[in-house]
Amino acid sequence: MSSRHVHGGPECVALFAKLSEYLDGELDPTACAGVLGHMEDCERCREFLESLRRAVAHVASMESPELPENLKNDILAAYARTKESS
Amino acid sequence: MDGTLRVVEKEPDNDELLSRIREDAPGAFDEFVTRFGGRIYAFGMKFCGEREDAKDVLQDTLLQAYRSLRELEHPEAMTSWLYRVAANACLMKRRKGKFEPEREISLEELLPGAGQDARIQIPDPTALPHDDAVRAETKARVQKAIGDLPPAYRIVLVMRDMEQLSTQEVADALGLEISAVKMRLHRARLMVRKVLEESYA
Repeated sequence: MSSRHVHGGPECVALFAKLSEYLDGELDPTACAGVLGHMEDCERCREFLESLRRAVAHVASMESPELPENLKNDILAAYARTKESS
Repeated sequence: MDGTLRVVEKEPDNDELLSRIREDAPGAFDEFVTRFGGRIYAFGMKFCGEREDAKDVLQDTLLQAYRSLRELEHPEAMTSWLYRVAANACLMKRRKGKFEPEREISLEELLPGAGQDARIQIPDPTALPHDDAVRAETKARVQKAIGDLPPAYRIVLVMRDMEQLSTQEVADALGLEISAVKMRLHRARLMVRKVLEESYA
């Protein structure tokens, strides 16, 4: 790739399909090196990857709601009712 | 190390719990709810976004799963299997009783336009200010972006990126090929990224 690389060509489109696998560390070493090499020359793809990484991190950092104790008791009561009726 | 001797009670594994469920041993259902209830409720909340729906998903999943678990042959598949029951309950709840989207979204639809502003708008989650209002607002935006996803994509995103299941576990739970899980996860992430970028622009 030359320093005159223009974003939006076939290389960028091919890379675009692999970004999640790259973030998840699922690419083989050759494909991974290809992504890294492309990122060095293509600022738009680099920025796009960073914005995707942030979006994924926001999703992953969402809190897990706790199970309310009364809900647990409701389910145990529902189970007891089904046992009684069977 | 503080030199205190700690006795750690080992939690029974799924194998042992499954044996107790098969025997319908006293307290087995209680133990089943204690072990998996929180996880299934959180999953229902993340997918449905509504407390009442998550409650129904939890109840339907646990009662149905407990009855059918007696026939489960491989205890190691218990988690994937439970998510499968929960995913079905979630999709039924949203009146979308199928894992298939009406059509697969193409990558081209998610590529940024040539003339689009290249600057990153989404804030770095590791650099958010310690301001409750900002954090609550960020959470609401992310929640909405997830909630707006088509169900077939949202379920994969919730399982992989929020519940931290492996690609194989998601494939087993949803009855999909590994390649389909990866494809839907990628598109779901791209859609969330797009919505967040636009909401911060």
